[in-house]
Amino acid sequence: MIKAVDSHSTAADAALGAHGNGHEPAARRIRVRILRQDVSGGESYWERFEVPHEPNMNVISVLQKIAAQAKSRDGRAVAPVAWDCCCLEEVCGSCTMLINGRTRMACSALVDKLLDEEEEIELKPMSKFPVVRDLVVDRRRLFRSLERVEAWVPVDDSYDHGPGPRISPEDQEDAYPLSTCISCGCCLEACPQFNKIEVVQRDDETAEAFEKRRKAAFDAAFVGPHAISQAMLFNSHPTGKMIADERLEALTDAGGIQMCGNAQNCVAVCPKSIPLTRSIARAGRAATVWAIKKLFDR
Amino acid sequence: MSESTPSFFARNQFLIYRLFSLSGLLPVGAFLVVHLLTNASILGGAASFQSRVDMIHSLGPLLVPIEWAFIFLPMLFHATVGFVIIANGMPNVGSYPYVGNVRYTLQRATGMIAFAFIIWHVIQLHWLGAPLGGGKFDPHHASSSASLALQSPLVAILYAIGVLSTVFHFANGLWTLGITWGLWTSPAAMRRANAVSVVVGLVLAAAGLGALGGMRAVDIEQARATEKRMEEVKRLLEGQDPAAAPAASHPISQKRGT
Repeated sequence: MIKAVDSHSTAADAALGAHGNGHEPAARRIRVRILRQDVSGGESYWERFEVPHEPNMNVISVLQKIAAQAKSRDGRAVAPVAWDCCCLEEVCGSCTMLINGRTRMACSALVDKLLDEEEEIELKPMSKFPVVRDLVVDRRRLFRSLERVEAWVPVDDSYDHGPGPRISPEDQEDAYPLSTCISCGCCLEACPQFNKIEVVQRDDETAEAFEKRRKAAFDAAFVGPHAISQAMLFNSHPTGKMIADERLEALTDAGGIQMCGNAQNCVAVCPKSIPLTRSIARAGRAATVWAIKKLFDR
Repeated sequence: MSESTPSFFARNQFLIYRLFSLSGLLPVGAFLVVHLLTNASILGGAASFQSRVDMIHSLGPLLVPIEWAFIFLPMLFHATVGFVIIANGMPNVGSYPYVGNVRYTLQRATGMIAFAFIIWHVIQLHWLGAPLGGGKFDPHHASSSASLALQSPLVAILYAIGVLSTVFHFANGLWTLGITWGLWTSPAAMRRANAVSVVVGLVLAAAGLGALGGMRAVDIEQARATEKRMEEVKRLLEGQDPAAAPAASHPISQKRGT
């Protein structure tokens, strides 16, 4: 067993060695092309970079090197590329971008694996959210969707209400995966039914009026799989379900559950493997019952 | 300015989309199943198909309102909302070539193909299409007139594409309908439902292509003789003069008859 592993790694090392000796210079360089944009609403353009390869790099460490050298591949001094990141362990959900054309988090995108796919790494900002700058996008709509479906347990005082209702281990197991959502937006980026909304402030518009107009635009459009799943999470929670009807009202409003087109990309790209399509189907069932109740109980 | 109330469509979006989903099964999908199975009866011979057509046409003057209420209008509703749905989606199979996503895209593509095909099909065969040079199907000479209309290889190929697109659209739609209404919610249940949808699709595809092949293979002279005999018997049973039967009343069968 151990021997087999050993011989495998030796063979791999030999292959790497032969590769290194032959065609490439001692220090391998990584090529990256980035779709940049200087200001929100501005023109986007490609810029190419090259950084030295190091073992175990991820896309964030590549971006850090690019920022440090602030030089394009052809040697021009350029403004450092802007990007979002925080936890660097696929928990905060802030570094989502299009890497080699697909939505994923930059922190968990390992460079060596990417280089197996393509010779040059391609980075683009998410296409479903307005670009703030370079790879930084404005994901406000994602959070607005969570507000629309009231994705929380409505307890907001500091009194002691005693212990909450018990939740059976089965229900806990059922709900736990849904609670691991990190609002990374991958499901929204891959969803063919969730399209970009970019509302631009007019010159004569106050901040309040603009905010109101933007909210109205968000609220008329698809809430997205993440919000549907969160609504199902809190509708299954003993305290959260006290406002289950309000969530279903939101899910059957314009841009609600009916906008799902069953492409099931959301579940395929979710980095947390959340059963989003199960949540969507459950929301569909709940909406069916809700609509019938509403029709006959009014 | 943005205070304006949302449109009728936006206010009733959930209801409209659910009716859209339902209409794909009832009545449109149910009609498709009946239609394809009826057509497949041609494989049992010209008389077998003719007797089923006679059964449908025994509705007499009721046939027209039934056609409009349960076939044409629901289909137009389904197509109208379908085009709105297609216009609001942004297929992305290029970036995300997952099976579900391919099906999402195919569902839209086959929906549009089915729409174009059905319009052409109705004009070509239904009496509504007669003013446009179509209306070639003659219910008194069901097998022979259908066979004549389908003889051209190009027509047959277009029919095969149209029928297969329609069947895919229905079978895949059956599966998504169950998700939409919350009939199957767990991944395992979706897989089982998918297997059922595949079987439904394969059976209907076989029926549709069987019908197409069967129609084309009809011996037109023999079929016409059978149809004439059946017409005479029908008229006898109705107490009419069998000789006055509209043997070749249909312009098409008259023109290409002998």
